[in-house]
Amino acid sequence: MSPLALCEWLSHTTASTAIRASRWAFAIIEMIHLLSLAVFGGCLLVLTLRVIGRFLAPRALHDVLLDISVAITSSLGVLIFSGALLFADGPLRYYANTAFRAKLLLLLTATTLGVATRRLAMREAGSPIVSPGLKAVSLFTVALWLCAGIAGRAVGVL
Amino acid sequence: MLSWLLAACQWLAATPLGTGIRESDNLFSVIETIHVLDIAGTAGVIAIVDLRLLGMLFSQSEVPEVLSPLVKVAWFGFALMAASGLLLFGAEAADLYANPAFRWKMLAIIALGLNQWIFHTGGPRVLAAVLSLGLWLTVIVLGRAIAYVS
Repeated sequence: MSPLALCEWLSHTTASTAIRASRWAFAIIEMIHLLSLAVFGGCLLVLTLRVIGRFLAPRALHDVLLDISVAITSSLGVLIFSGALLFADGPLRYYANTAFRAKLLLLLTATTLGVATRRLAMREAGSPIVSPGLKAVSLFTVALWLCAGIAGRAVGVL
Repeated sequence: MLSWLLAACQWLAATPLGTGIRESDNLFSVIETIHVLDIAGTAGVIAIVDLRLLGMLFSQSEVPEVLSPLVKVAWFGFALMAASGLLLFGAEAADLYANPAFRWKMLAIIALGLNQWIFHTGGPRVLAAVLSLGLWLTVIVLGRAIAYVS
């Protein structure tokens, strides 16, 4: 099934129709999306501060990651789920939206690099020093997340 | 009711800055993007501070170790949020004046300020953290609701 055919099928599903028909469903899902974005954004900011040595510098990056791993993974899960529901509101409209395509690509790359960062941090567990390689990958990943956020805002404008 | 406030909002919306932002093709969206992403980062960092006060995150580290660097970031984020929020408000002040979601959001922000003040003057930290989490959630929800109610 092509992506376009998938979007067409999705636009006729019960969930998609129900979200479109409801006055408040889209707004409520958008609020949940934004709340999970706040938790995720806060975790990213804290990790960035740790990577550049401005937060809990005596502790290894891996330890800091472990402390907030539940918050990161659960907020990312809610972000993806609520994002999928928002997408279901108008799959064909989003399919044609350049900003949405860019956002998806950025999300995929950032998530993949996020997993890679975690693995690299695991190798350096026990040491409070963040290697230049890990620092570069982490900061690049954060920059990608920021770009995904900007692309997300642009979806409604373009 | 509060006709001077309505007059002030109408004046603000009619200033060159308010008109410029409202009539620009992209300026409003750019400021809104900064405002939303900044809220996401700042409210998230404040939530982490609150969760530390509640002993739910970074419990192996001392409270000042967690609070000291994050509070600085939160203040910077809050200043950027206020500045971008004021610009957005300036562009739509006359409409926002009548928006109930906007009014409740402003009240929630005032309550956040009071909560911070009480916390810094030695108020109970657990209560302050719970109130802060609840009020930030309210601010975000009401911020989105502005677009849906009139």
